[in-house]
Amino acid sequence: MRRWMALPFLLGLALAQEVRLVEGWVRYPASLAVTAAYLTLENPGERPLRLLGAEAAWAERVELHGTFHQEKDGKMVMGMRPVDFAEVPPKGRLVLKPGGYHLMLFNLKRPLKLGEKVELVLKFQNGTQLKVLLPVEAR
Amino acid sequence: MRWLGLSLALLALLGVAYLFLPKGHSFYGTRLMQPKPVDFALQGPGDPVRLADFQDKVVLLFFGYVHCPDVCPTTLLALKRAYEKLSPKEQERVQVVFVSVDPERDPPEVADRYAKAFHPRFLGLSGSPEAIREVAQGFGVYYQKTQYRGPGEYLVDHTATTFVVQGGKLVLLFSPDKVEATDKVVADLRALL
Repeated sequence: MRRWMALPFLLGLALAQEVRLVEGWVRYPASLAVTAAYLTLENPGERPLRLLGAEAAWAERVELHGTFHQEKDGKMVMGMRPVDFAEVPPKGRLVLKPGGYHLMLFNLKRPLKLGEKVELVLKFQNGTQLKVLLPVEAR
Repeated sequence: MRWLGLSLALLALLGVAYLFLPKGHSFYGTRLMQPKPVDFALQGPGDPVRLADFQDKVVLLFFGYVHCPDVCPTTLLALKRAYEKLSPKEQERVQVVFVSVDPERDPPEVADRYAKAFHPRFLGLSGSPEAIREVAQGFGVYYQKTQYRGPGEYLVDHTATTFVVQGGKLVLLFSPDKVEATDKVVADLRALL
């Protein structure tokens, strides 16, 4: 009987897909109004994983956004929209980069210093939360 | 034998002629076949600023907004990289200007502080919504508020082209993708200077 007690725990481990941060950075903000976080996530699991957004103690609100190009009246226009999720494919990567997806951070509660590391908690649809430390960079 | 001598002479002549051909710089940005006269007056951090104030400079003009986390900083960081590659002498003849298409949230001081966060020599301009509308139209810049949640909370879709003005005329364009190729942008600027 005792040997089965560990089973639910082991099963839980197998189900929890360990998503991993490959790299990332927070853009050194030119004003306290907004900035963006960019990162690459790796999903070693067998099933897709959906990134929903993040939380950061140093910003009032975080939203997952996608940037788009669009032709309007013959002119190239760029913009961004909140998205519900971005998928990290099984055995694959999700890249948040300038001109693509980014985590938009609104109303920074304090100025960020170039080179400092700031914490974000990434939230996934399956309940997984991933704490990441990203450097503040002017790029 | 006579023909060979003649052909060689002709070849030599062609070679010499080639040396005297003007060596044109092949522009990376989009050259305007017919440079378009442009001017405007907007509000700077102190006094009103006319585009014509920079008559003897190459002006790099970008329209954006301060609450823009992705596209605008990407381009302004690219312009900073290009600007910093120029020699101090060349820098004196180049002016980067940021024009806010979000005048409600970006008064002139805010627009200028934002521009200067990228480089202290950059200039930020703003103005009344009508003035901004007119300037944007002159450059064919589209902008539109979206995702409106309140007076301070919205996004702005906008044209993210970098416009290059020289001698009061619009001469060159860089798309947001192209502007990131720093060395090529620098080579284009040097060809204009």
